[in-house]
Amino acid sequence: MKHILYTIVALFVFAASTQAQEKDSWEKWGPTPGLKGGGFIARVGYVLGGTTPIPLPAEVRKVNGFSPRGGISLGIDGYKMFTKRWGVSTGAHFFWEGFHTNADVKNYYVWLEQEGEVTKGYFTGTNVTSTEMWGVTLPLLATFRMSPRWNVSAGPYLSLYFHQTFSGEVFDNDEGIGYLREDTPIGTKILMTRENPTPYPDNFPEKMQPVALGIEFAFDWKAMKHMNVFGLLDWGMTDIWDRNFEAITFKMYPIYATVGLAYRY
Amino acid sequence: MSKTSLFAFVAVPLLLASCIAAEQDNTECDIEEVSLHLDSPIDFFFHEYDTLQTVISTETDIVFTIRSYANIQSVPLSLRITEGASIYMISEDGTETPFLSGSSVDFSNEKVYRFRVVSEDKAWSRNYSISVVHDKPSEGNLFIDYESYHLDASGKYYVWDAPEVFPDATWKNGNPGFKISKSSAKPMDYPSTPAAGAGPDGSDCVKLETCDTGPFGRMANMRLASGSMFNGIFDVGNALTAPLEATLMGSPYTHKPIQVRIWLRYERGSVFQDRDGKPVEGVVDEPDFYIVFYRNEDAEGNKVQLNGGDILTNPNIVGLGRLPHHYNSDGSDQLSNDPIHGVTDEWQEFTIPVVYTSVIDATILENKGYSIAFGSASSWQGGYFAGAIGSKLYMDNLHLYCE
Repeated sequence: MKHILYTIVALFVFAASTQAQEKDSWEKWGPTPGLKGGGFIARVGYVLGGTTPIPLPAEVRKVNGFSPRGGISLGIDGYKMFTKRWGVSTGAHFFWEGFHTNADVKNYYVWLEQEGEVTKGYFTGTNVTSTEMWGVTLPLLATFRMSPRWNVSAGPYLSLYFHQTFSGEVFDNDEGIGYLREDTPIGTKILMTRENPTPYPDNFPEKMQPVALGIEFAFDWKAMKHMNVFGLLDWGMTDIWDRNFEAITFKMYPIYATVGLAYRY
Repeated sequence: MSKTSLFAFVAVPLLLASCIAAEQDNTECDIEEVSLHLDSPIDFFFHEYDTLQTVISTETDIVFTIRSYANIQSVPLSLRITEGASIYMISEDGTETPFLSGSSVDFSNEKVYRFRVVSEDKAWSRNYSISVVHDKPSEGNLFIDYESYHLDASGKYYVWDAPEVFPDATWKNGNPGFKISKSSAKPMDYPSTPAAGAGPDGSDCVKLETCDTGPFGRMANMRLASGSMFNGIFDVGNALTAPLEATLMGSPYTHKPIQVRIWLRYERGSVFQDRDGKPVEGVVDEPDFYIVFYRNEDAEGNKVQLNGGDILTNPNIVGLGRLPHHYNSDGSDQLSNDPIHGVTDEWQEFTIPVVYTSVIDATILENKGYSIAFGSASSWQGGYFAGAIGSKLYMDNLHLYCE
């Protein structure tokens, strides 16, 4: 929660710092039909983010690499201003987002089940994970017009996933350390190497939740008469995994930001 | 709006999410290596390298073997344990005193010392024993009826007692590896099992069966497990990364083997599959049984222990006896549909002579400079995860004859 507060504060400070330069009239940049009018915004954006436990569990010792996967968002929002400053918006943002990460872990509990067979224990070494998600986010936001050209919005959203992938493998780290202690930290030590990495079972995506709830924060800056520069942050509040999925012991949340251009009417 | 600001907007949450928490204390508590420090080890041990033992994770009873006439007394004992862990020596009345690696320990009269290693986080501990025993001279000839077996400590699979002249006196096989892939398997579902009353004389025998390793086996591209039985060490830690090397074969032996006689019976699985699980046309599965005699030290005095990869090809091999098979011109195994091993589904006693390619040095032999290895498998290509699921090799009443 603290992180979210920080993010909101950062956003406001950032927006306020640029406000001073604004000398434009409210009418010039207002909704096309008038200050209390409505309209639509069509958005094209680049999505960047990750699906992560918050905070990172102590088992994660080092993040060696991170790269986004996918990263496209196409959306349409409708908005309505009730006063000069306040309004609401809602819409649909279709996305393809994901990431790939490479992290060193220590004593990371794994519980893998396939067709009734279970392998479990504590893994130390390098863990590589990739996930991609295709879906649509439906936000319902309150909009505050800070200045003629600046809007900020926040509110809940619901994401529906059409398709999800989650894959990865484990092997030894750069120091050559990679092993599973079977069942307990004093169980049989089974070595794992990058020459013969051990993949995650392919049933992980079946264990992912088809919906997610979260909070969206957004800003719009009216760059031209009908064009916005926008940024939005979708902060997932629900675990991506089924409640009874034991392979990953911590909750993981999707946190993705989108930046892009929008046509505003 | 500048690019930097945009980047900040995206980066802030990511940075917040990527804080690395403080490292937690280690939970492991292993003895990884044990060594004894002697001025002239060769007066006590058969090899210089015998003073140092690397301890695999499944081993808790560490035994050093010295010459039958040697008497070891106070000797510095060095233990390498998991980082952060602490080690205690347990006295007979159960009290524990911290043990400082390198302290002298009196190993006379084959006294067994018990140790407890406690993890850095204090939540886990393991008990070990360390002892020095005298070599037991063997007569050379052996008779093994595979009647002495019991479940392992986990209760998951069977283990067989082997002659005392072999270190830790148990037969080894791939059962511990099969346990990793098929947690649901019952003791009789494992590749190496006893077969009560199924021997040629109506007594118990051993059944080696090539088994499907299930979904985890497919994931690791190790789709089958051949039943096996050998003497040496099965280093289960390497079972996933280097399965052939995990099979460490052979035990030092002071007699020159001449021949083995063994009763065998074979039921062939119907479809021979390659490592990828694809059926191979025109090839049938074959059992394997061999005896290998090899020099267990190289020119620099390093330990030589053959493994599943070089047990039949290593240049240190001096003598070899094996069931007959077809071979390619380069000496490698030739898959075929007309095997010549002669093992049928009726019990037969086979005589396998050991053919020597080098002269045995009597002094080296006496000083345990050669090792003997027995190997057997329900699928002769099982080390490469090829064979026919369901192939069964029954074995009983092994006689070893030495010079």
